[in-house]
Amino acid sequence: MTDQPIVRVLNVSRYFKRGTERVNVLNRLDLDVPEGQFLALMGPSGSGKTTLLNLIAGLDTPSEGEIWVGDRCVSKMNEAQLARWRNAHVGFVFQFYHLLPVLSAYENVELPLLLLPLTARKRREQVMTALELVGLKDRNSHLPSQLSGGQQQRVGIARAIVTDPTLIVADEPTGDLDAKSAHEILDLLNVLQRALNKTILMVTHDLRAARRADRIQHLDKGRLVDQPDEELYEAG
Amino acid sequence: MKFLMLILKNLRRNILRSALTSAGVMVLVFVITLIWSILGFLDTVTSEKTSNFKGIVTEKWSIPSQMPFSYADTLENGAAREDTDIKPMDSMTWQFFIGTTEKGKGFSLKTFVFAFCMEPKKLLTMMDELDSLAPSPKAELEKAVEAMEQNRQGIIIGQKRLAALEKRVGDRIKIFGVNYRDLELECEIVGTFPLGRYDNNSCINRDYLNASLDAYKASQGKPHPLANKTMNLVWVKVPDRDSFAQVSNQIDNSPMFTTPPVKIETASSGVANFLAAYKDLLTILRWALAPSIIATLAVVISNAISISVRERRKEMAVLKVLGFQPNQIMFLVLGEAILLGVVAGSISSIGTYFLVNRVMGGIPFPIAFFSSFPVLDGALWWGAAIGFATSFAGSILPALSTRSIKVVDVFSKVA
Repeated sequence: MTDQPIVRVLNVSRYFKRGTERVNVLNRLDLDVPEGQFLALMGPSGSGKTTLLNLIAGLDTPSEGEIWVGDRCVSKMNEAQLARWRNAHVGFVFQFYHLLPVLSAYENVELPLLLLPLTARKRREQVMTALELVGLKDRNSHLPSQLSGGQQQRVGIARAIVTDPTLIVADEPTGDLDAKSAHEILDLLNVLQRALNKTILMVTHDLRAARRADRIQHLDKGRLVDQPDEELYEAG
Repeated sequence: MKFLMLILKNLRRNILRSALTSAGVMVLVFVITLIWSILGFLDTVTSEKTSNFKGIVTEKWSIPSQMPFSYADTLENGAAREDTDIKPMDSMTWQFFIGTTEKGKGFSLKTFVFAFCMEPKKLLTMMDELDSLAPSPKAELEKAVEAMEQNRQGIIIGQKRLAALEKRVGDRIKIFGVNYRDLELECEIVGTFPLGRYDNNSCINRDYLNASLDAYKASQGKPHPLANKTMNLVWVKVPDRDSFAQVSNQIDNSPMFTTPPVKIETASSGVANFLAAYKDLLTILRWALAPSIIATLAVVISNAISISVRERRKEMAVLKVLGFQPNQIMFLVLGEAILLGVVAGSISSIGTYFLVNRVMGGIPFPIAFFSSFPVLDGALWWGAAIGFATSFAGSILPALSTRSIKVVDVFSKVA
């Protein structure tokens, strides 16, 4: 891990219009994430965690402010540029895995590689490496329906890392798993961070999961807060 | 190619829906293929040729046309009188003989015989389609024609008619005249027409009909009522439009044809006039039924693809997260629809082509002189084209809607 920030969130606000009303989800927020850091974002429901994650991953654009990832200003890119950038630089892990049910584990992991100019052989190498990393090489031909929740999430992680992205964003990756599977997934994220020096941003409600990160950042009402009010989490 | 796997897997997602949509496409393409084949065939026979023009000479003011046989030689020569006049390249006369094989038992499809009475050798040079047969069926027909020339009581019968009459080549049949009342022809079946246009028709040597009319006069002491009205049509073949105009002029100005007067028109306009009785039916087929079927096809595909897109909004959002461009997702959806439409359409039209032409011997749709219609060669690519066009039209709106799927909306939750 270096001190050089790979993610820089500069004075970012995000608001939505609901009729004539303006709803502020993020409020002039600043955040730096050093390269190779595992950051957990915590906060009560409605605090803006997922919105912040979506903005950093280039799935949404801020109403105000700038977001830089590496030397690229993500908030200034158009939709096509963002799609290309996400494909090469961001791995996304969902709470509910979101694997395509008609594709095998192998094919799900291969999906992001279809967009890159790689030979079939090179794709195969990368897919098998990713599946080996998550311990599912021998299950590569299984459909998602033939895998447990934990295994599906590991396929989701393999899909997220198969392009060797700069950044892995995980939105409550253990939220749908039992304790044992959640533990295994967090172990895996730790391995990715330490062995491959991946920068990981994880949104979670689970304090035990958050404690596996290098740093925990709390959000409340669209702002970063230093000390969370314990009551905030009771609702979440 | 990389996305083809994805498209194929998506089509297998709901096999029942894909199968039902394909079945819908196949049925509708089948119907369209039949309709377009009939219309295309009629368009071909009613369109003017630029060479080898055929003209039809008929009685001018009366339908049905009934001319004296004494007109035959002059008309077959194009009424040429001067050295500078043009004679047709070829010609034939037609006398229609309608009869039944069972006297006094009424007129039924099982006993009905419709025959062109003509010079047998003209079957090979003047009859549409029979003048351009493949070597094998041509050799068969030549054999039958030779048999008819040697035995003027020979008859060639279309294969379906022969089956309906429950007769075989070599059998003898007696045909009792319906239009030629009290005239009985005793014929020997010497061959059949190739499967297709003449399946329900027959051909009798005109010399036999004329000899029978003479025999009637001898036995009855008076000529047959139709003896002087026996010739229905004369066909003449000329090399080009100018020659046709001159032959037409020769016939129009000939003093030979006064009682009754005659007229000549191109074969295509003659057939078109004959088809005028079916004008409304053909208009409905062309402008209402066929477009309705195509529109239905597009709606069937649109419905299936819309449901599929609605069900897969999350998956499409995931693809966007993974870096797929909106256009790539749109093309995946279009690809599914088009692949399904093109494959199902091709199977249907190519299957129809072989089933109808090779097994059924034509579309059984008796209209004008035509008892059945072949599926045109164009059907081999129509299915793919119809499938492509309708699946594109049906899926373009649902496919476009995938472009605007917003990831944050699909995965929206209060965070």
